[in-house]
Amino acid sequence: MLRVAGLSLAYDETTPVLEDASLAIDAGSFVSLVGPSGSGKSSLLRAIMGLERPTAGRIETDLGMREIGILFQDDALLPWRSAVENVALGLRLRGDGRADTVAQAESWLARLGLSGLGDRYPRALSGGQRKRVALAQVLALKPRLLLMDEPFASLDAITRVRVTQDLLALVESQHMTVLLVTHDLEEALALSDVVYLLSHGPRAHISRRYDVPIARPRDVVTARTDPAFAPLLAALWRDLQREVAGETVAA
Amino acid sequence: MRRALDRVWLRQLAALLVFLGVWEAAGRAGLLNPLYVPEPSAVAAALVELFGTGTIWPHLAATFAAAIAGLLLGLAVGTVLGILAALVPFVAEIVEPFMILLNAVPRVVLAPLFVIWFGIDLGSKIALAFILVAVLIFFTVYTGIRQVDRRLVERVVTLGGGRGALLREVYLPSLVAWLLGQLKVAVGFAFTGAVVGEFVAASRGLGYLLSFAQSTYNAALMLALVLLIVGFVLLIFALAGRLERRLLRWRG
Repeated sequence: MLRVAGLSLAYDETTPVLEDASLAIDAGSFVSLVGPSGSGKSSLLRAIMGLERPTAGRIETDLGMREIGILFQDDALLPWRSAVENVALGLRLRGDGRADTVAQAESWLARLGLSGLGDRYPRALSGGQRKRVALAQVLALKPRLLLMDEPFASLDAITRVRVTQDLLALVESQHMTVLLVTHDLEEALALSDVVYLLSHGPRAHISRRYDVPIARPRDVVTARTDPAFAPLLAALWRDLQREVAGETVAA
Repeated sequence: MRRALDRVWLRQLAALLVFLGVWEAAGRAGLLNPLYVPEPSAVAAALVELFGTGTIWPHLAATFAAAIAGLLLGLAVGTVLGILAALVPFVAEIVEPFMILLNAVPRVVLAPLFVIWFGIDLGSKIALAFILVAVLIFFTVYTGIRQVDRRLVERVVTLGGGRGALLREVYLPSLVAWLLGQLKVAVGFAFTGAVVGEFVAASRGLGYLLSFAQSTYNAALMLALVLLIVGFVLLIFALAGRLERRLLRWRG
């Protein structure tokens, strides 16, 4: 569905953030990208979304830009638009009729457990509720590929599990393909079919790929008790430690 | 009685009444020179006379016309220049140094110059109110647009919005928020410009009346006029506050 081939990206001339990074995302899979902080995980995601211009390499996809949805860590809801207007925004920008967009937006809010909160402004919503609105905004556009950059990092643990569970259910029912950037190894393994480890930056590349043989659909909590989970976590943790140590040696 | 004094505004009102009472009593007892500090009743009498004889109306009209015209012109020109400077680098290169210079000097020093340029009628007062407001609004809009929340811009872009959508969904609402945030200051500036302009040279207006009262050593009239200006500016502040609450509901 999407292939990143030999991607390099630099913000200044001396040190590229990414150098020769390659990965592949198959249709219907849930893929996570983990790596040391500052390694360029977000930059890779932004490049896929067209928000950064790569200095070398290709991003090949059979998807149109409109079929890709993205969710950032900071929920950037328009503060002057109510929850339902925020959700309807994407639909409206894509030229759907006004009355229909509001109805659609409300049904998406309901699906994410926000019935009756549509008239509230973002300021009057809790962090978890705002995150759900942002999620509804993206999912309402029915993306085939969903890119997420630490989407739930700002939420408390319980809210995070609940929002993730609701998201997983929607990913399954909408047959979405997902690329998740996270620094949480357990979350990556619990959710993903494939986990890519990015080497330490600068000049980060994909250093390893792990296939997670746990059946889907999954439950965020019980997936961690699967026999395959612990050995994979140990391996991932060991490799990540090496990357961080490599960074220290290089420094 | 204890119950009644539980409210802050009641306590404040009581304090004010006590203050005015002491002032009045001190005046009547001959402790204050009426030439410098007329008692409250004299100030009230001056106010009543201004309105009773109707002499105040043309002066009020002149000051309001100058302040409102300067305010509207300043808002319009400041906004347009601010937007242009933020979007077109060439405009910023030309306009920004002027604005920084104008911002650095106390702009009321331009009043005598404006009298020469625009005459002692309304023109020079509008010009002074205008220049005070326009510079303020220029910087509000110029820095505002350059500091617009990048996350909102990226959100609209990733949802499929183009330049038109960015303008409508992000830039204009941000602009309204910044402008309303500065509206009260701008109103104060506009009245300052109008009154100071009249103070320098005029044949009408509250500033002219103040200058007249000063030349005739009429402290009661001066205090009455100051009171009047404070009253009207507070009234406009209240209106601006209502507008702000209405348009910025989302701030909660």
